Amino acid sequence: MAVIEWLRVNWLDIAVPVLVFLGVFFISLWLRRITYNALGRWLNEKKTEIGKIIISVTRGPFLHWLLILGAYIALRVSVLGLSWKILGGHILASIFIAYFGWILIRLSRESIRLYFDRAKASDRAIAIAINIVQATLIVVGILVLLELWGAPLTPVLIALAAALAVAIIVLHDVFPTLFSGLQLTQQKQIKVGDSISLESGEEGRIEEITWRNTQIKTLDGSTIIIPNTKLLQTTITNYGKQPKLAKQPFQFSTRLHLRELTGSSARNLSQLVSRLREVPEAVVYYHTHNFVEEYQFLTPQPTNDFALWVQDALGYDVLAERLASIDTFEFSTIEALRQMITGVIQDFLAQTPHEREAPFGNEFHFIKSISVVLPTSYVAHNLREFVGILRRISMRSLYFHIFEARLRLQRGTNDLSLWLDDSLGEKELAEQITRLDPYNYTMENLREIIIRLCEKKL
Amino acid sequence: MNTKINVKDYEPVVGKSYIEELRMLASRLSGKTVLNINSTLVGGGVAEILSRVVPLLNQLGVDVRWQIISGDPQFFKVTKRLHNALHGKAESISDDDFSLFLETTEQNLSQIDLSGDILFIHDPQPVALIAKKSDIGKKWIWRCHIDISHPDSRVWEFVKQFVVNYDAAVLSSPNFAQQLPIRQVFAPPSIDPLSDKSKELSAEAVNAALTKYGLDPDKPVILQVSRFDRLKDPLGVIKVFELVRKNFVCQLVLAGGTASDDPESEEVLHEVRERAGGNPDIHILDIAAGSDIDINALQRAATIIMQKSLREGFALTIAEALWKAKPVVASAVGGIPLQVRNRLTGLLCHSIEGAAYAVRQILANPDYGHWLGRNGKEHVRQHFLITREIKDYLLTFLTLDNKQDVIYL
Repeated sequence: MAVIEWLRVNWLDIAVPVLVFLGVFFISLWLRRITYNALGRWLNEKKTEIGKIIISVTRGPFLHWLLILGAYIALRVSVLGLSWKILGGHILASIFIAYFGWILIRLSRESIRLYFDRAKASDRAIAIAINIVQATLIVVGILVLLELWGAPLTPVLIALAAALAVAIIVLHDVFPTLFSGLQLTQQKQIKVGDSISLESGEEGRIEEITWRNTQIKTLDGSTIIIPNTKLLQTTITNYGKQPKLAKQPFQFSTRLHLRELTGSSARNLSQLVSRLREVPEAVVYYHTHNFVEEYQFLTPQPTNDFALWVQDALGYDVLAERLASIDTFEFSTIEALRQMITGVIQDFLAQTPHEREAPFGNEFHFIKSISVVLPTSYVAHNLREFVGILRRISMRSLYFHIFEARLRLQRGTNDLSLWLDDSLGEKELAEQITRLDPYNYTMENLREIIIRLCEKKL
Repeated sequence: MNTKINVKDYEPVVGKSYIEELRMLASRLSGKTVLNINSTLVGGGVAEILSRVVPLLNQLGVDVRWQIISGDPQFFKVTKRLHNALHGKAESISDDDFSLFLETTEQNLSQIDLSGDILFIHDPQPVALIAKKSDIGKKWIWRCHIDISHPDSRVWEFVKQFVVNYDAAVLSSPNFAQQLPIRQVFAPPSIDPLSDKSKELSAEAVNAALTKYGLDPDKPVILQVSRFDRLKDPLGVIKVFELVRKNFVCQLVLAGGTASDDPESEEVLHEVRERAGGNPDIHILDIAAGSDIDINALQRAATIIMQKSLREGFALTIAEALWKAKPVVASAVGGIPLQVRNRLTGLLCHSIEGAAYAVRQILANPDYGHWLGRNGKEHVRQHFLITREIKDYLLTFLTLDNKQDVIYL
């Protein structure tokens, strides 16, 4: 009876806060509906994953937060004493802070999962990131609560600073790696499949980008793994997607040579010409290419050993000039080249009644060239890789594909032109390289010219 | 054996691709063992080159071993005479000497473990070990480090009866080629760019050598490094210097040693000192054996390096000089023209006047001298470094069974 009597007297003191609370409740329902409908429409247009996460995580709690707000307003308009109002306000604020913090933690957890999955981060990396954010939010929440309840903050802040310092020392390499990985994937300046070259000279195709490293398949077929932090600090040239793929890849070979002594020598022109007719083609090849190989790094004016010998040992300057001027590039077989050389010497002999003898010790020694060919680790699948490899291969490799392939292996032209035409359909480029007379350049110049011609096509 | 050598240290010298290619060749010898046999572990050019080649080949992944033959002093006296006779020097060698040589070979054959797939026999001392080939088979290569261009015919016929049974011979110069039924590979000798004789030296070390030997740092230095031997024509070099000195301020350094096995060398040194008289610009330096860093420093201090020999074997001092990017004036004899391509990697001469003219040309045109020196250094880099010798050996091992001109490995 006493309760009924009390309610009859004080019903207004109760009704006002209840009505205020209910009012806020209904306004909250309406507010949530229009807010989230608008948000949903906007997110549908943007199609972002993060938007969906925000809606799903906050839709329920949004109403609860407004109800806490309603309870707080109801408390403020109630007739309770000031001290009760302050106490109730603190309790409601504490509930709100804890609840809001928990939702923020959920939100950050989902977001981290989303972004790190895209960056192909490992489970360990995801767990580290979530724990860091979670711990930070909990600490901030506790600090706010302590502030709210008027607790002393100084010792807590000192402890936190110390903990933070330890965490920074322990995790000093995690953060840069983490953010470098995110930066690489988000900025999309490089992506899997791109051809890139690095400041250090490495060149290759990107095979994988993870949150920690980027994996590159280099031109020599090896794989290099570069930490993302380092990759972001270096200058990268991105050539973009791979150009047209060749029907057959080009396997670069290298050629090392062994010199075999035949035991045959000549002291005068008659002996030279008669023995030159008999020796194997490998001997003719050696004496017409020895100068190119030995001095190609010095002079673009190669000559043959016969011209040098008749000048140095016999002193026949005119014959030496005629032999030196034989254009090796004109000949497609060694036999034809041999015929030309012996013909020139024979003509000269016919007009020379008295032969000279080479001084003792200055005989012409016939030497045979043995070529040993080995495949290198360089394989080009397209024109870009081809150019990159041309920059890197040894001169012995270039020599093999240019000189040896054409004349000694009788492939008609050099290997580079053959591949460009047959496997890449680059007929014009192939012809340009075929037309180059390699005997007129040093090997380095030849390499540069071929690279320039190829680069024009890229 | 030199354990400090590391094959990677040669990459900055010859390029990474060259070493990579050596590795590729070495990998194809996987599972094979190469056994080197010579007459001594220390002293002499063969032991010196093996002490570097063997560890380098091992580092490249080839199982290379090294053994020596043994013999009493009388045996080595005989082999010394055989060596000289093969060089063309008149030596009296009796039938008893040949018998002693064969008996000692027999003893070695019963003592030496000839396990290995390729037996690499160096020089004439162990050449007769080939007798075992009919029993054990395997591949046998004879590496001849000496000049056999004009051998004593009787001694050569004696040695040749063994050489013809080898699978291949490796010779240092085209001039040394013989009429043989076996393959003859041309592999010139080489220098080691990281040895004391050829490694880079600081300017302080070079200046210290100038001070040590009392040379004037402000005068161009014309240098000849060689034993005091008439075949090196030291008196001719003094004449060249006197002709040049009329027009150019310079100093001459004749640096060398006297060999204990050459009684003439003391006499030649005396003659040279007498011929130089009191000329303060001529420095005759009798340098003790093993002073490789001093020789290196003198070569680096030189303006022009000469080798006015009357006769030469291969003359590796030329490669040493060229490696220091020095302009070289040298006689066109022996293996010198292989290293000095006239007017491209140095200047060749045939007379005292010609040599003086070449020296004057370079002194008057320092840029020309630098150009020749740079070219010479590149030439040595490509053809006369130890890495090239290793390449030649690997290729020889790998192509023993292949008679084609173009071989795909």
